[in-house]
Amino acid sequence: MEFIALFVALTIAMLVAWLGTRPFALLLFAAVLAASIGTYLHHATDVLKLSF
Amino acid sequence: MTRPLAVTLNALGLYAIAFVLAAAFAAQLALHELPCPLCMLQRIQFAMLAIGPMLNIRYGPRSSHYALSLLAAVVGAAFSMRQVLLHITPGDPGYGSAILGYHYYTWAFLGFSSAIVLLALMLLFDRQFETHDVREQNRPGAFARVAAWLVIGLAALNIVSTALECGFGACADNPVEYELLKLQR
Repeated sequence: MEFIALFVALTIAMLVAWLGTRPFALLLFAAVLAASIGTYLHHATDVLKLSF
Repeated sequence: MTRPLAVTLNALGLYAIAFVLAAAFAAQLALHELPCPLCMLQRIQFAMLAIGPMLNIRYGPRSSHYALSLLAAVVGAAFSMRQVLLHITPGDPGYGSAILGYHYYTWAFLGFSSAIVLLALMLLFDRQFETHDVREQNRPGAFARVAAWLVIGLAALNIVSTALECGFGACADNPVEYELLKLQR
């Protein structure tokens, strides 16, 4: 579920970068980057079965 | 490097990102290899690379826009290196198929590393940053518009693909089938 949310947020950030205002695009970029790193760190502590 | 040339190179960068995202989809559909969670994080970082060039095309080249792409590339390189290290022990077959001898995550690491170098090279050319009204917005040409919408479209397709693959629960560590399609059977 978190990956669907990340892709949705990323697509919105891209749309804002292309059609919206620059400050809002920068804010969304920072939010998606932080959420990606957070997701990575959350899963980085999982038991390593294959790719996590 | 003049501003128009820098803008054209940024549009070319968007096509390169679109190529990577499309190639990932092609491998997913042709080889029926679903992306693992760490693979999806790398796709996200590849798409994040596109936000800097989009802003450069719309508002003119600025070092802060290149910085966004550099951040995405460094984070993407860290994610892909993590996956390389997970499969580095002798005898480990790796995750997914190898293309030209390297697995997707190794190619991803090379891609992010190349992006870092290319972004640094772009930052070497000061003339593109010559003073202009920052409130001024460029009217992108058809070449850049197609590139931007291609990348946005591919990012949107990833929403559909991820929803099909993971359904409404957590994504599988080693996905082998689309959860949503399984529910319909």
